Amino acid sequence: MPINSFLYSKPRHWGGALAHYGASWWRMLLLGAIALVLAFSPSTYTRAYRRDTARQIYLGAWQVLPWFTVLSALISLVIIRIVLVTALSYGLSRFGLEMVVRVLVLELIPLAAAMFVALRAGMAFNAAALDPFAGDTSLQAAWQLQRELAAQVSANAVAVLSLAIVSSVLVLVLAYLNVYGLSPWGLNDYTRTVGRVFEPTVAIGFGLKTLMFGLAVAVIPAAAMMEIRRFGRGAASTMQPGAVRLLFVLTVIEAASLAVKYF
Amino acid sequence: MTDPATDLATKPAPGAPPHIEVKAVILLVLMTSLIVAFLLYVMHARGVFEVTQRLVLVADDSEGVIPGMDMTFAGFAVGRVRLVELAPDGKARILVDVPRKDAGWLRVSSVFTIERGLVGDTRIKAYTGILSDPPLQDGATRTVLRGDTGAEIPKLVASARTLLENLEAMTRMDSSLNASLANVQAATGRLSGRYGLLGGALGGDEQARKAMLALDRVNALLASADRRVFGKSGIADDTQAAVVQLNVVLQDASASLKKLDAVLAEAQAVGNNARIATDDLGVLRAEVDSSLRKASRLVDEINRKWPFAHKSELKLP
Repeated sequence: MPINSFLYSKPRHWGGALAHYGASWWRMLLLGAIALVLAFSPSTYTRAYRRDTARQIYLGAWQVLPWFTVLSALISLVIIRIVLVTALSYGLSRFGLEMVVRVLVLELIPLAAAMFVALRAGMAFNAAALDPFAGDTSLQAAWQLQRELAAQVSANAVAVLSLAIVSSVLVLVLAYLNVYGLSPWGLNDYTRTVGRVFEPTVAIGFGLKTLMFGLAVAVIPAAAMMEIRRFGRGAASTMQPGAVRLLFVLTVIEAASLAVKYF
Repeated sequence: MTDPATDLATKPAPGAPPHIEVKAVILLVLMTSLIVAFLLYVMHARGVFEVTQRLVLVADDSEGVIPGMDMTFAGFAVGRVRLVELAPDGKARILVDVPRKDAGWLRVSSVFTIERGLVGDTRIKAYTGILSDPPLQDGATRTVLRGDTGAEIPKLVASARTLLENLEAMTRMDSSLNASLANVQAATGRLSGRYGLLGGALGGDEQARKAMLALDRVNALLASADRRVFGKSGIADDTQAAVVQLNVVLQDASASLKKLDAVLAEAQAVGNNARIATDDLGVLRAEVDSSLRKASRLVDEINRKWPFAHKSELKLP
């Protein structure tokens, strides 16, 4: 039951609504745990599972990677230019580069990658909801669904990680080129700046945040799909399943990461 | 009964693109290598692979100094703050790692400062005046100087306030400066009076008039004295005649002295003769003494001989 229906329901139904809401979160966490266990269990890696995962990685990351990289490079280029020119005009050019690395590499690129993959994953699940197995309760259908979900969870996590890391590296290169041009003589200075930004806590936080983005994007739409399979789609819901929850979780992760880094 | 999973595994997916698994593996390898390369780059940027030596900077206040910040020399980063800790004596100890390849810029005479501007972060700077000094030892401890714009402002304001108070005191109506200026005005007023500078110097026209009278009298006195001294039959003429007479007297005295000189020469000759005579007298006396001793011995000889001999005896009481 969505949260808005909880607000508009009668008080005597609140207990049931809360229980339903909690159970929904619990099932999501359970699915995440199962996906992690499956990902780390060697027996999972059957030929069929590998093929499914490879297909999902191909769909979620390989096909998207060039477009996402080009798009993020273009937007990053604009942001880098704005930040550097503004910093230069205020006489703060030595902070411009640091700000670019902090804002783009640490914050915007992972978030953008997570959003992008979530959007695609949601579409994929929506398409899957209309597949021939929909409504089929046979053993074969259940097996297929579980395998596909596990593969999809792994693939989405990999997709977020790969999009984020490729774009981050590209942005680092673009920032260098913007500041120093093609000259290699700024490399030492640039390296020191990057070193100053990536303190151990920041670097670990960056890695953890990207991983959690990957997990959230992988698990939440899948859990929402499972619920739709189980309880049917709400009459008025035309939204992508789990979109609100995913946005909420992504925001919480980002806010927590910022709070840990800067407070 | 066949396993449905096996069935599905062997069944190729409808419309699947070719080489999906290879592409997925390529992507995974690319991602892993990028992550590893990025980690290595960040570790290199953080100076993990550098051989360093330790420098300990002791400061009263380490505000704004954070681990990871650079220490610069001539604008180039030559060290990185590793740790900031509070020593038992209440001072801040800033531990700086200096790469061995950059340690040559730091000498025993190097000076270290912490500067904090109004905008921007705190900076640690090293200055080396004499590059021929011995290099800084590993683990050396140095006191760091502060060049703090923020801390200077209160001092500056305090100094400015003192300056303004002094200025205000100087420009008050009853201030010494005003009184001095009034005195100067009075003095210049006197200077512009009838007797000019003299009136100013003596304190008024009355005094200046008296001084002028005194000067006139001195002038009259001088004219009279001139007449008495250098005039006809004045003191100067008398003195000149006396000098002429004195000259004659001196000539006479000179002649007398020459005569006295001759008398003294005579007396010297007499003295010489007397000395020679005294020498001869000595010889004569010696001869007389000898003759007397001979006569005495002769008398003794006669006395011992017969008939004048007499027995010598000693009578005891």
